[in-house]
Amino acid sequence: MNYVIETQHVHRFFGEGEVRVSALNDVSIRIERGEFSAIIGPSGSGKTTFLQLVGGLDNPTSGRIWLSGANIAEMTGRELSDFRRDHIGFIFQSYNLIPVLSAEENIEYVMLLQGVSVNKRHKRVREVLSLVGLEGLGDRRPAQLSGGQQQRVAVARAMASSPDIILADEPTANLDSATGAALLDVMRELNEDQGMTFVFSTHDQKIMDRANRLIHLHDGKVEQDETK
Amino acid sequence: MLLKLALRNILRQKRRSLLTGLSITGGFVLSVFSFSLTEGTYENAIDFFTRDHTGHIQIHSGDYHEKPKIYKTISQPDTIEALIENESRIKTFAPRIFAPALAYAGSETSVVSVIGVDPLLESKASRIEEKVGSGIYFDQEPTGSGLAKVMIGVGISVSLDIGVGDEIVLISQGANGSIANDLFEVVAIVGTKSSFENEVVYLPLEVAQNFLSIPNEVHEYVLLATDASKSISLANTLQKRIDLLNADLTVSPWQVVESSFYKSMRADQQGNYFILAIIIFLVCIGVLNTVLMSVLERTREFGVLIAIGSRPNDIFKMIFIETMLLTTLSILFGLILAVPMLIFLTQIGFILPEPIDMGGVHFHDLRGSVSVTVVVVPALIIYGFACLVTIIPGLRACTITPKVAMSSY
Repeated sequence: MNYVIETQHVHRFFGEGEVRVSALNDVSIRIERGEFSAIIGPSGSGKTTFLQLVGGLDNPTSGRIWLSGANIAEMTGRELSDFRRDHIGFIFQSYNLIPVLSAEENIEYVMLLQGVSVNKRHKRVREVLSLVGLEGLGDRRPAQLSGGQQQRVAVARAMASSPDIILADEPTANLDSATGAALLDVMRELNEDQGMTFVFSTHDQKIMDRANRLIHLHDGKVEQDETK
Repeated sequence: MLLKLALRNILRQKRRSLLTGLSITGGFVLSVFSFSLTEGTYENAIDFFTRDHTGHIQIHSGDYHEKPKIYKTISQPDTIEALIENESRIKTFAPRIFAPALAYAGSETSVVSVIGVDPLLESKASRIEEKVGSGIYFDQEPTGSGLAKVMIGVGISVSLDIGVGDEIVLISQGANGSIANDLFEVVAIVGTKSSFENEVVYLPLEVAQNFLSIPNEVHEYVLLATDASKSISLANTLQKRIDLLNADLTVSPWQVVESSFYKSMRADQQGNYFILAIIIFLVCIGVLNTVLMSVLERTREFGVLIAIGSRPNDIFKMIFIETMLLTTLSILFGLILAVPMLIFLTQIGFILPEPIDMGGVHFHDLRGSVSVTVVVVPALIIYGFACLVTIIPGLRACTITPKVAMSSY
């Protein structure tokens, strides 16, 4: 099978001794290319930890994680940086755009790191701005954009380099209902039209409604895995 | 992109960047000022000292400089003068002979130093002619009395109670053991009470040679180099050439001849460099504070940059470029301020309320020195320290884990 993500018996503990907390407990999940999946569960269930582990932002205490066939636990810091750059797109709850760069420059940044030529970068920036509905706003700095617009820039940044997977950590949490719904529609379209794989961590019903797979986490364990 | 990011990050906190920039500019201008004045003062002191009587280089027979004896002469002056004249790095030279003597006039006596000088060459190699206070420097005109001419220091003039036109008797010992004594006419009083010449009697070289029974021989050659800063290397070159002549002569730069003056000057110079270092240290603390604050404030941002694919060394580079950019802009602004200041220091200087008498030469002002070194050295030091203070915050920024960084605010 063509798995984008595969985890095997992943454990993640925080702290030592009596204060040791199990954030993930024996999690084995496979996510296929083109999925629009949501990791759901109450606060503290391990959703964000799961995304951080599969995004290479944290290391598991034990277990294995493959991303696009590569075992990310065996990578050095530099290899992991390059891997994230080339294979993963991130969308964060609080947008996390670079405040001194314009929307276009924020979107362009990852491609610049990849060494994509100027012309190709600019063409791609125009394309993704259009896809997320931000034509004409490319020269604005994040502070000059609304929350919804900033999150659209974050989506555009995540998808601009055409990564294997986009990991979105509660992307609608800071947005009002209508803006969140509109943004989700954009992401769903990208998934359907371009086959882009999305994995969300969320407890937003709108995402759950649109997702084609829901992975329920509870106390760090996979409680239920349902495909619609 | 990194340059763009760096520039925008500098402009992000305009007030803080401005204050840091001004502290770098201030530090640079102060350093240039201090460096220029220090160098200028020492250049003037060295120029004064060497032009007064020491010269940049001296040539003696064997160990004459350490243990002077009347018979330790340079016996082949023509050969040495030919060698000196063939060296383009030597501006001028003057031969001298020395001897102690007893001087008396009327009923007064005084112990004096006799120095025989070539009137023409000596006036080019030292300031002796400028220091004639009364009377006339040695010329070709014979005296009215028909006696040989001498110039005396102020101290002798006072102790023997004589002036221009009076007669003076000198008694010494000739190189051949004979008693040397003769009557001379004073044609000039030179220097001041504090000057080197206070107890000196100057005789024209030929007169002194005959008086001391060392015809056609000298004790010392004083050389002025075209570039005083190259005295040591020039002295070494001359020594090698003289050694080829199999002559037992010693060539010494002024740093050796006047080693105590040179050492005390160097010690004083190092004291000034220490003050310079304190100025730069204070500037660097300011830069460190700014860089550190800027890094701490942007921890989350660095985490995001690393998360989306920036390599840790990209983050280090960005912080480094920011510091270098701010330093360069500040130094360029400092340069705009430093140029008129340097022009003032070199052309006008600080007028002293009371002139300083240094061995009969009066210093009326303190002047700075201008050279590439005066500007480049402080700039390089500030750049060097700016690089240094970037290391700690830079390492901190590039070693943070994105997960931890993104959870900070």
